[in-house]
Amino acid sequence: MPRKKLESPAEGVSRRTFLKGAGIAAAAVGVSGVDVAGETPSSQESLIVGPGPVPFQLTINGDTRSIEVPPSTTLLDLLRDKLGMTGSKRVCDRGSCGACTVMFDGKIVDSCSILAIDAVGREITTIEGIGTPENLSALQQAFIECDALQCGFCTPAMVVSCTALLNDNAKPTRDEIRAGISGNLCRCGTYINVFEAVEKTSGQGGRDD
Amino acid sequence: MTEEMKIKVGFGDTFRELTVRIPDGDIPPYQPGDPLDLVGTSEIRLDAVAKVTGTAEFTYDRQPKGLIYGKILRSPHANANIRSIDVSQARALEGVRAVLTTPDVFEDSTARYAGAEIAAVAADSEAIADEAVRMIEVDYEVLPFCVTIDDSMAEGAPKVGRGNQENVDRVSPRARRRRRGGEINADAEASMVARMKEREKTVDKLFAKSKGVVEGEFRTQVQTHAPLETHGVVCDWDGKNLLCYGSSQATFGFKRELGSSRGPVGAKDVRVICEYVGGGFGSKFSAGREGVLGAMLAREAGKPVRLMLDRKEEQTSAGNRPDSLQKLKMGVAADGTILAYRVRSWGTPGTGTGGAGAHNDGIYNLGEIDKVEYGVRTNCGGARAHRAPGWPQGVFALEQMMDMGAQSVGLDPIEFRKRNDDHPIRTAQYDIAREKIGWDRPRVRGGAATVCRGVGVASNLWFSAGGRGTQVMVRVHKDGQVEVRNGAQDIGTGTRTVMGMVAAEELGLPLARVRTFIGDTRDPQGPGSGGSTTIGSITPAARLAGYVAKQRLLEVVAARKNWPIDQLGLRRGHVTRSGDPVLSFDAACQLMEEDVIEVLESRKANYAGFSDTNAGVQCAEVEVDTETGEVRVIKVVAVADAGKLINPMLAESQVRGGVSQGVGYALLERRIMDSQEGRMVNPNLEMYKLLGAVDCPEIEVVLFDVYNGKSNTSVMGLGEPPIVATAAAVANAVSDAIGVRITEIPITPRKVLEALGRKGSDTGKKGE
Ligand code: FES
Ligand code: FES
Repeated sequence: MPRKKLESPAEGVSRRTFLKGAGIAAAAVGVSGVDVAGETPSSQESLIVGPGPVPFQLTINGDTRSIEVPPSTTLLDLLRDKLGMTGSKRVCDRGSCGACTVMFDGKIVDSCSILAIDAVGREITTIEGIGTPENLSALQQAFIECDALQCGFCTPAMVVSCTALLNDNAKPTRDEIRAGISGNLCRCGTYINVFEAVEKTSGQGGRDD
Repeated sequence: MTEEMKIKVGFGDTFRELTVRIPDGDIPPYQPGDPLDLVGTSEIRLDAVAKVTGTAEFTYDRQPKGLIYGKILRSPHANANIRSIDVSQARALEGVRAVLTTPDVFEDSTARYAGAEIAAVAADSEAIADEAVRMIEVDYEVLPFCVTIDDSMAEGAPKVGRGNQENVDRVSPRARRRRRGGEINADAEASMVARMKEREKTVDKLFAKSKGVVEGEFRTQVQTHAPLETHGVVCDWDGKNLLCYGSSQATFGFKRELGSSRGPVGAKDVRVICEYVGGGFGSKFSAGREGVLGAMLAREAGKPVRLMLDRKEEQTSAGNRPDSLQKLKMGVAADGTILAYRVRSWGTPGTGTGGAGAHNDGIYNLGEIDKVEYGVRTNCGGARAHRAPGWPQGVFALEQMMDMGAQSVGLDPIEFRKRNDDHPIRTAQYDIAREKIGWDRPRVRGGAATVCRGVGVASNLWFSAGGRGTQVMVRVHKDGQVEVRNGAQDIGTGTRTVMGMVAAEELGLPLARVRTFIGDTRDPQGPGSGGSTTIGSITPAARLAGYVAKQRLLEVVAARKNWPIDQLGLRRGHVTRSGDPVLSFDAACQLMEEDVIEVLESRKANYAGFSDTNAGVQCAEVEVDTETGEVRVIKVVAVADAGKLINPMLAESQVRGGVSQGVGYALLERRIMDSQEGRMVNPNLEMYKLLGAVDCPEIEVVLFDVYNGKSNTSVMGLGEPPIVATAAAVANAVSDAIGVRITEIPITPRKVLEALGRKGSDTGKKGE
């Protein structure tokens, strides 16, 4: 835990740009308790950063990016509001819908529930890193052909989750697909089409019309 | 002048001739056997690439330069009057650019549900806006409240409304009032009451004559729309003109609202852009208070403002499907004919009473009907139209009564329905649904088994031929480019795609060759996405515009080449002469003298068609674990009619979507209100449960291709009808499986176990 006392955020506006009270502790733990620099807290004096912007580097879709944001910034808000990568969506902002799904070293996480600063040292993959309109992934092509999208708001995150699933398991069964996207809500009801798209990509059928 | 002509209408291999009057300037509908290259094929969506790559720009994604952020302060009290609001501290906070209050903007000093708008701020960051909202001090006169219909209907309940508003209003037959919202006209009311009594007597006599008489009391929950993209706007002003990116299912509705000189915004010129919207389901027709506040904050701040609701606000304040309490009674003759039907029902649309109705007296021939309906005010967030407003709740109750009625005279549920149904399309759908679900297969039901299976059936109908008030523009450029334009939105149904398909079909081009434009009010007027009428309103205008553009191009070709125009056509990228390709489309365009042929055509009136309504039948198979009470929907068969199918794949997606929401409605979704605090307990997506991938059943869709003949494309919209029947079919299947009826949704494990307990203690008594 932080040893240096945090200054009260009540004095100035700049401190208020910070998240609510709880965010401060979370950010501090994020920096001091987790291995930002690959070190454990016991080997080093705990480091207090923020609440103002702090500089750090992230690897996003293979590129190293220099970032400077308050440590209270979630990865999702960083991606969307600071980096203009709006494919990841903010729907619940608390880890219950999956619309903000990105990959951390190939595993899916909810970017709304992770501080950007906690992503230091990770390989972050967003929908923007999976394919582009000119260069679609096979799965994206299958999504299109299977109509695995309606309004499309959940779709980028569905693509991310299914990509991670297929990376792990080249031929998932239908139940494995269900489990693989069980964290991704779709209000329009595209689930079956998503199953079909994954099966098409893995060479196990898909739609027949 | 209208032209009278004979057209073929019908489906399958049975068509009949119908004489219709085609309005002046329109073209006759598609006919069976017409050579169509695009219409009727499963073209992929035109916006699919943008959606799968995350490049589709939703309202939430718009980031105009200098963007700042809006937030709304909401009432923590379920019923209060606002005495005063002190915004001075918020205004003084650095980074705050604008502050507004509800009493000022809307001249409304009441907060009649927990979540009502009180004030709004715009600031340089979301965090500052949050902080500023917390610094606003409000002096409330806190009043007692009711948040459930039972509380509100109870003797001596606190008053929800203001002035002379009663908690319970009879909404059908509606009381005559001297003026809107005024006193009830006593004379008119007295004669109305007399008529109602008369009706009651007639129906009672028929009950006395009936062989089977069944009664039931049903309840449905409040369901929120829960679109994944919340409501809201990004607003930017240029002097007196407003540019509003809105998450909308009625771009022109937003425009009217924000531009109305009687409204608080009153923008001189409003442009609404909504290229993509992350779900609406009926809740996004109006810009709402959030839209108005967003626009006004932007004006006051002199900067573009994003005001998007957060999830909690979305779930409490952005609309819902009202709940219902329905008391029904049905009398059936020995031969299975329904003789009489009685309905008394209640529902709460929030602090008002409009829109509470449950459509529990439709679909079938129900004999003499005695129906009285009430709206109940509660201190809850207001209802908004919700995918087939009134129908899923009404049909949930009606269809269980149908099963009970069948049982009372010893008929198979499907046979009983057929006996009381004369819809020309639905009567052909029952047997298909029956066969596909395996209705007659033996199943383990009730008894000693711990896992039982059952099947259930339910029907739907809809009225979605569309209508006038829509225009589509087609432009053919000299360089061969083609544009198809309409300013309405595509809420995920595929409007953009089908609009392009019917126009491209006329021009003999592949879909990829036309560029479609949707969701910008600078383009020609289009409908709100309501009543599933978008496709039926837009496609006839698009087809006509494509047709007229074709004629104009062919006139050019005929004149320049000296070919008789009546020999010419457009097909597969070419001008054809007597059916043979003679000139490429691009080369034909090169012959134009002007740079562009521009055609603007209006949707003409509907004709008398094959059927004014579209039909559907669904069957569900469920598995019930009688030890845990858990219900799993194994499969739903949905037989659906969308008139003439323009794009079967997109139509099937609509049906799957409707059924999925229907399964969630049947088993999971429920707004829970805290009667002590007056707040919604589950304004989120972990406690308010939507259907997920694990629970999504197999959904088999059977589409009817009906040459309906109501318009030149013969199409009927399909957004709403599929959700109508699903919860009812699931409920009937559950009761088939466990031998006891569950009359309230969502069908949670607890309700199943309670029902099984009731059944146990009822042993020996006559069944339901
Ligand atoms: S927005 Fe991250 S899980 Fe919902
Ligand atoms: S496509 Fe609309 S939420 Fe999934």
